[in-house]
Amino acid sequence: MVTLAISSAWLLRASDGALIYEAYHWVTRPLQPGLSREQQFENSYILELQERIVELENQNRALQAVDAYEKSITTEGTRATVIGRGADHWWQHVILNRGSRSGVDVGYVVTGPGGLVGRVVAVSPSTSRVLLVSDATSRIGAKVSRSRTMGVVRGQSNNRVIMEFFEKLPDAKAGDVIVTSSFSRLFPRDVPIGRIESIDLTKSPAPEAVIQLSSPLPVLEWAIIHPFEPLEMVDIPTLPGAESENGARLDGSGGAMP
Amino acid sequence: MTIVTRASSLPLWRRPWVINSAVTVASVLACLLLLPSRIPGMQLLGVSPHWLLIWVVAWSVKRTQWEGAIAGLVLGLLQDAMTAPAPTHALGLIVVGVLTARLQKQRYLQEDIVSVALIVFVMAVIAETVLALQMSLNQLISVDSLYPSLDKIWLYHQRVALSSAILSSLWAPALYYPLNRWWDRYSTDA
Repeated sequence: MVTLAISSAWLLRASDGALIYEAYHWVTRPLQPGLSREQQFENSYILELQERIVELENQNRALQAVDAYEKSITTEGTRATVIGRGADHWWQHVILNRGSRSGVDVGYVVTGPGGLVGRVVAVSPSTSRVLLVSDATSRIGAKVSRSRTMGVVRGQSNNRVIMEFFEKLPDAKAGDVIVTSSFSRLFPRDVPIGRIESIDLTKSPAPEAVIQLSSPLPVLEWAIIHPFEPLEMVDIPTLPGAESENGARLDGSGGAMP
Repeated sequence: MTIVTRASSLPLWRRPWVINSAVTVASVLACLLLLPSRIPGMQLLGVSPHWLLIWVVAWSVKRTQWEGAIAGLVLGLLQDAMTAPAPTHALGLIVVGVLTARLQKQRYLQEDIVSVALIVFVMAVIAETVLALQMSLNQLISVDSLYPSLDKIWLYHQRVALSSAILSSLWAPALYYPLNRWWDRYSTDA
């Protein structure tokens, strides 16, 4: 009896609780939300569009100087409803009602009204679990859209995230738009994250900025899952002291599980 | 012995131990399904009641340390399945199961609903502390730990532990009362 209980619990753990989330999906099916809190989402959506425009303007300026330009992510994706939240108090997860049956896979990127939401870390046939950008273990390579200053964004379990700059004197000020950078291996480039709320230049070892996320994560009701192939290979490490000129190390990946 | 022979003449699905196991498993399943949901009025600062902890306390109150530990292990593994395997929730729930079973022997507390709510309050704080300790340890030992700095962990711990403890103890009777009634009836039947 005891071994049965422990082994079945272990099995479930090995399968990332797919069975439980399947059951949860079917139980909560009649409760899954339609449209509400319209205003808030609309505001976030407008904010996202504004941020996208800022980003596009900057990109356009850069484009005129540089010929080579890669296409940024396309907007097609699977729409999904948020049907649940993290099953404990430490992890910032959401459960979406689309899974492997709709073609969702681990590593896919999730955006919502307002920009980046997170990435898929586990799937079951009809649900997927998303690690939010606000999770304390989430790391995303990001840049200031205006000045292209690079940094790493990490969550702190609320709707504000911290951006650590690579440079000692970053060209950034309050109100600047933050987007994912091309150094990020787990996220596509140029997805809006949020705006700088305040900057602490005296912070050691690196200056930090507090960023207000533009997507309303605590009240999120739907999201879009984009197919994305994460680049999980790692470059050959450079020797210590042999940093590149601008001090930008190639470690700006994000959302890894501990 | 007579009970066993009488019980074995019944069809399998009507034997007391089968019904009892079914009710027990169903209650665990109900708790698991409640975990990801955020029902209005059931959350405080984005934190919902720790249903598995309430279950472990309800289970361990009238049982031995070993039974408490095993329940903690099983439910902890299940919660790991639903979140992430590290830091493990099993450790915290095992501690909760063992401590609850030990408490009862010392006869400091009566087995009424108020004292169960009190036990749940203390145990919720302990369970979150065990998790925070694991994270702190990982932070101290490993160089490239993904967890935030120690002061941030413990600041967040305060918030989580307090709201989890308040909510869980308020909701504890909702789970403890029916489960305990059932197990009482089962033990007098069998």
